[in-house]
Amino acid sequence: MSQPSPHPRPAARATGLTKVYGKGETRVTALDAVTVDFARGRFTAVMGPSGSGKSTLMHCLAGLDTVTSGSARIGGTELSSLSEKQLTALRRDRVGFVFQGFNLMPTLTALENITLPLRLAGRRPDAAWLEAVVATVGLTDRLGHRPAELSGGQQQRVAVARALVSRPEIVFADEPTGNLDSRSGAEILGFLRDCVRELGQTVVMVTHDPAAASYADRVLFLADGHVVDELHEPSAAAVLDRMLGFES
Amino acid sequence: MLRTALRNLLAHKARLAMTVLAVCLGVAFVSGTLVFADSSAAAHRAAASKGFAGVAVTVTPKDPPDAPPGEERTNVLDDALVRKLAAVPGVAAVRPTADGSATLSAADGTPLRAGRARANLGAAHVPDGNGEDGRYPLVEGRAPRSGDEIAVDAGTAAAGRYRLGDTVTLATDGPVMTKRLVGTVATKDTRVTAGGTLALFDRATAQQLFASPGRYTGIDLTAAPGTGQAELAGRVASVLPAGRAEATTGAAQAAQQALYVDTLTRGHAKLPLVFAGVSLFIGSFLIVNTFTMLVTRRTREIALLRAIGASRRQVAGSVLAEAALLGLVASAAGFLLGLGVAAVLPGLLGTAQDALPDGPLVIGPRPVVAALGVGVGVTVLAAWLPSRRAARVAPVEAMRSAQQPPSATRSRIRAAAGLVLLVLGVGLLVSLSGVEDASEQNLQDAMLASGILLVALIVLAPLLAAPVIRLAGRPTGRFGPVGHLARENALRDPRRTAATASALMISTALVAGLAVVGNSTAQALDRQAAGGLGADYVIGTRTPTTGIDPAAVERVAATAGVRTAAAVADVPVFIGGGVRQIAGVDPAAVDAVMRLDFTGGSADDLGPGRIAVSATLAREQGLAAGDRIEARIGRGHEPRPYTVVGVYRDNPAAGDALGDLGEVRRSGFLPDSVQRILVRTDDGAASDAVAERLRTAVGANPLLKVQDRAALVHEAAGSVGELLTLMYGLLAIGVVISALGIVNTLAMSVSERTREIGVLRAIGMDRAGVRRMIRLEAVIVAAFGTLLGLVGGVFSAWAVGSLANGAMAQYSFVPPWGTLLAVCLLSLVIGAAAAVVPARRAAALSPLRAVASA
Repeated sequence: MSQPSPHPRPAARATGLTKVYGKGETRVTALDAVTVDFARGRFTAVMGPSGSGKSTLMHCLAGLDTVTSGSARIGGTELSSLSEKQLTALRRDRVGFVFQGFNLMPTLTALENITLPLRLAGRRPDAAWLEAVVATVGLTDRLGHRPAELSGGQQQRVAVARALVSRPEIVFADEPTGNLDSRSGAEILGFLRDCVRELGQTVVMVTHDPAAASYADRVLFLADGHVVDELHEPSAAAVLDRMLGFES
Repeated sequence: MLRTALRNLLAHKARLAMTVLAVCLGVAFVSGTLVFADSSAAAHRAAASKGFAGVAVTVTPKDPPDAPPGEERTNVLDDALVRKLAAVPGVAAVRPTADGSATLSAADGTPLRAGRARANLGAAHVPDGNGEDGRYPLVEGRAPRSGDEIAVDAGTAAAGRYRLGDTVTLATDGPVMTKRLVGTVATKDTRVTAGGTLALFDRATAQQLFASPGRYTGIDLTAAPGTGQAELAGRVASVLPAGRAEATTGAAQAAQQALYVDTLTRGHAKLPLVFAGVSLFIGSFLIVNTFTMLVTRRTREIALLRAIGASRRQVAGSVLAEAALLGLVASAAGFLLGLGVAAVLPGLLGTAQDALPDGPLVIGPRPVVAALGVGVGVTVLAAWLPSRRAARVAPVEAMRSAQQPPSATRSRIRAAAGLVLLVLGVGLLVSLSGVEDASEQNLQDAMLASGILLVALIVLAPLLAAPVIRLAGRPTGRFGPVGHLARENALRDPRRTAATASALMISTALVAGLAVVGNSTAQALDRQAAGGLGADYVIGTRTPTTGIDPAAVERVAATAGVRTAAAVADVPVFIGGGVRQIAGVDPAAVDAVMRLDFTGGSADDLGPGRIAVSATLAREQGLAAGDRIEARIGRGHEPRPYTVVGVYRDNPAAGDALGDLGEVRRSGFLPDSVQRILVRTDDGAASDAVAERLRTAVGANPLLKVQDRAALVHEAAGSVGELLTLMYGLLAIGVVISALGIVNTLAMSVSERTREIGVLRAIGMDRAGVRRMIRLEAVIVAAFGTLLGLVGGVFSAWAVGSLANGAMAQYSFVPPWGTLLAVCLLSLVIGAAAAVVPARRAAALSPLRAVASA
């Protein structure tokens, strides 16, 4: 089903990825032998109804959750072969996250939040890159503020900057617009698309909003733990159309 | 609402268990002390009435009211009176007694079972018609028949490891005696069974020792069947010589004796009450904190209750009901623990196991009521503030997700109140720091001021938290972002941090204050005990009624290894309206045994009518060498003029004034004896061999003590030892409760910050980092509490130091840096240790929690 990638090695790849929760009667197969590639420098949206496995796919690929069988890779690294410590380091150095609930540290300023992953790794931020990221998300004059002093949109822009600052190989965004009004949401999606187009970032976004998905280069559709369809260069209408097709 | 309270209680049982423990400890101490007191009182009453069984009435001699004080009284209790009493109708039997005090010597020359709370009884063996004494039935051997024989009770024999035929050394009030042990007896006298000793003499010897030949100290009467005690006492009183003897019923005596023994043993039992107070006080912070956190956490839930129609009163009531239930559980557990405390208390109090008569634990209503009252009362009272907070939750907050910042007005009020208290406490302490009068009033003021200072620090703690932690938390910067996050987390809710740190602050303040006072006192006693002393040994008396006879002085002087033995007569002297102590010395020998430093005149000119005075006395009386002063020494009836021949720097060994040995001794209350012998050895050092020979030279008299400088210091430090016990006890309690508080707060914080910790894990903080972050936060909170407590405690101790100076001339402020440092380190370690479980729990959180609980 997967589209052959233009690059020799994809940013992330799932091969026969299976995830089972629970045992016996409560056993739920969230992902059933999913095989999919996420190409470098592309913006991919993962869609599907609740319980389709889209979040689980992201968690497994990001090293947040363990897989039951099959393989999940970031670049050339097989995640199941990594120890807890190595997984932590991988998340810190090679993966960026944007959460639905912003999830900033309330005690740190915007700048401190942005540079936290670097400081956890004991690295100094690259000043030019930091400036570029901060400028891209338009936060230059809000860096000294605490999250409580920022609007929801501004908080999510800080979160995006935090995800980008360590130049990760791949950024995972989990319903990044879920808690935002439509204008702020559009801004965030614009930033994500800009950093793919202009900075060459790779972004994987889980969403159930067709309008959000229309910002992506490619949309994957999941249902009952399987990849059931995909769209390239989609419009919101096309996405909605496709989704209505699954639910009927 | 009660059901809601109960359900909430069950939902948080692990967390509340910590709170329960603090209350539980306090209640255990309270109920344990009370049960112990009741049990020992009951046991003493039972034992005393057993001891007086059969004694209906006791006749004792009485001083005629018009007798001049101090005159030898003429005792009317003789054999004629005994026969007369035997003829009184209703008297079944008569037993005369000749009792007094007799101190026995243990194998090492020290007094056997002697001490403040012990009775060392000497008595006559009074055989009845069959040669048996019903009061002291023989266990082994036979009764003493002549002046060189004694019997002792079986317990005393065991304690002194005496065997029949041994020679026992003992002393009554006078010189030392040796007697042969011919028998052991049993006794029910509680004064003896409570850890004292009993020595039995034959009747004539006892009369000579304790009364006068042919006289008795008491006559016990047994009533014939059908005759009541009061009735008999009335009949007996009518035949007694008027005003020279009185009749007391046995019941009254038993009650009095039980009270006496009980008071002696119960005095020690106050310490646990101090512990109880401290643990409940500190514990109440834990309760406030726990309930505040629970209320904060349930804000939405409470708002929902309010929205669906619960009144403020109902909401507050539900929190208080929860507290009352908690208090009830804690009190019940504490009471059970208290029974354990009561059972082990006699051992803890350092009295011998046999010091208390055997008896069951008596659980009266008083300890039960006290335990419940204290436990529930403290818990409900402490939960009162959080309950008000719960009542203030507005229904609309059910719809609001973000928490509101604490209102600025409140913190302004807090700052104002705190500053007023601080100024008050510090001002009072500083004003007291100039006072050198250790009067009751000043001491109470000092306690009050220290208390106010502590409360001020507690009130201000939330406001001090930010600046102090930012400043003191600098070193955490070394831990990078982990340290930074830990510091910011500690500052996130300054009130919570302050309340958590308060427990540690209080205990640190108490311990630091006590440590400073204790150390300063110990050093002062050290200087005082051996200061100004040139002698290597001091031979002194254990009781003020004992003297050292001149023959002993000569024997000591002749002992091998002794270069100088200087007798000193210590007698009170009345100068200028005050009572001072004058030491009569031999001017030729005094320089060898005292380090006197004369600022004017010298000791060479001492003689009859010529005295030297200390610098303090000279200053107070405006004296200089060559002046004349009126003084009355000891028993002298009229003041006499004395010439001041010298003024010396204050010297604890010399006292307020020095006089001529012969003159001072003649004026003393024991005219033939002296009170001290100061001994200088040939090599100027103390050794076991010399000590042994000195002890032999004074006839191994158990009432005399031979002490080298180290022993003097040790003896003087005895009371400080109790202070140390108190200090370590408080430290232990404070540490336990503080640790519980920190565990509690951190556990709460971790569960509140589940998501945040998840995010940190997701964006790359490893498990060790999470653990370190939580641990550092705990250490910061602990350091904050310790720092405040240290400042408060040491400052208070400094301020009250001058009061101690009034009571103890050599006192000066000497902080025990080592101990204080150890207390600080201990606090930090406690902080880190308390964080172990919450940190582990936090580290185990999956990064998925960041997204899953969205």
